[in-house]
Amino acid sequence: MSAIRREAAQNALNTLLKQPLATLMTIFALAIVLALPVGLFAALNNLQQLLGQWRDQAQISLFLHQDATEQDIQQLQKHLQGSTGVVNVRYVGKEAALKTFEKNAGMTAAIKILGENPLPAAFIVELNPLSESPAALQAQVQKWARQPGVASAQSDLHWVARLQAILALGKTAVWILAIMLAVGAILVMGNTIRLHIAQRRDEIDVASLVGATRAFIRRPFLYQGLIQGAIAGILAWIIIAITITILQGPVDRLATLYGTRFQLLGLTGLEGLILIIISAILGWLGSRLAVGQHLDHTFS
Amino acid sequence: MIEFINVTKHYPGRHHVLRELNLKLPTGQMALLTGPSGAGKSTLLKLLLRLEDVSHGTLMVNGVDVSTLEKRHIPAYRRRIGVVFQDHKLLMDRDVFNNVALTLQVSGVSGKQIQSRVRAALEKVGLGNRIHNFPATLSGGEQQRVGIARAIVHTPEILLADEPTGNLDGSLSTEILDLFRDFHQHGTTVLVATHDQSQVERLGLPVFHLEQGMLQNAKEKSA
Repeated sequence: MSAIRREAAQNALNTLLKQPLATLMTIFALAIVLALPVGLFAALNNLQQLLGQWRDQAQISLFLHQDATEQDIQQLQKHLQGSTGVVNVRYVGKEAALKTFEKNAGMTAAIKILGENPLPAAFIVELNPLSESPAALQAQVQKWARQPGVASAQSDLHWVARLQAILALGKTAVWILAIMLAVGAILVMGNTIRLHIAQRRDEIDVASLVGATRAFIRRPFLYQGLIQGAIAGILAWIIIAITITILQGPVDRLATLYGTRFQLLGLTGLEGLILIIISAILGWLGSRLAVGQHLDHTFS
Repeated sequence: MIEFINVTKHYPGRHHVLRELNLKLPTGQMALLTGPSGAGKSTLLKLLLRLEDVSHGTLMVNGVDVSTLEKRHIPAYRRRIGVVFQDHKLLMDRDVFNNVALTLQVSGVSGKQIQSRVRAALEKVGLGNRIHNFPATLSGGEQQRVGIARAIVHTPEILLADEPTGNLDGSLSTEILDLFRDFHQHGTTVLVATHDQSQVERLGLPVFHLEQGMLQNAKEKSA
């Protein structure tokens, strides 16, 4: 770092330390503005992770014709096992279906009156709902329904479509929010720097009179924005980590009720680093806009 | 060499502040700029510092056409000039040393050089013992000396002063103007705007007298 840059960085740091309360307020405001969209991104990531765990919840039942041959059944099983997104294929024969029905529905007497087993054999196909788009999954199910030996197909893919649509909507909303809040962060920093400029107007004017370049005048303000932005990024990361730690307890209790476990994900080291860099850039950008505007006036 | 060639300055919707001004101050010379308030003295100095643009005409300073100088070259041009103001324009939150050092800092001079050159400049103006004082603790005359030290610390080619003794009493005015004369004797071109007639007569230097934006004195049109 050159002497001029070192001097400017020192100058920026001194200015921030001279007004600790104002500096902290700016940093906290920025951190909260940043933590909100990043926290929502983390929530979406966790939701996707949860969906991944629920992949066996997307089940397709393929009911077979009463006269389906052994060859039809074997070919269909092979076909299903080789299809995209299939996690598990389970064959339920007529007798097994009857036993399950009797056990679950408690209608043994009614079945006995019929005299014969009316239930068809079936394949239960478990799908990863996120492997394909809902439309592609639906198309695949329809294709299976046309296979030899298949009488009908029953799927519960509608909830997958709804969930994916909600996720897509959530992602778009978070992006829009993130952009709006990024602009907000720039404005917060710009406004703070504008106040600093107003406080140091005499210094800027005198420096300009004795031959300071725009870069010389601008540099300490840019460093101020950069430093505050970076600290706000670190703080936003801490806020998200604390929030996740607080939420983990209730999530554990909820997951236990569903007989499962779920570990909330925070930001990875790389994501945290990106957050700090983006935050520092936003701080720098806000400063640059504010000081640039002032210098355009001073140097015009 | 400072040379105004048919220089006119006017502001939109206002009268002409300077009209067809022709003035020449050779390199290494010292002259005084006199005239009543509103005559155009400050405007003339602002044109020299390129704080204002020339409306018409040509302004040459040591081979630089200031009237057409590109904005990006203005800082480098200003670093060749020293300027002293009536109100000193000192930074009240910086001590004497740091006020003077600013001129060198903007030029990228190293810390070691700044230390020695600032001390030397302050010695020259008689403030070697007030280096860590803040401006508010200094008298008006001392504050003006700090302003002068800031203007000469980078050994400028040209030294401009706008009413540097405007707020000072007689003896202090004499001391300050004598300082300018010392710098001139070391080869710096000096132009001092003043309305202090007694000092004008005492110094016996060439005078450019302005009235309503026009050069009036027939006796000293060129220094």
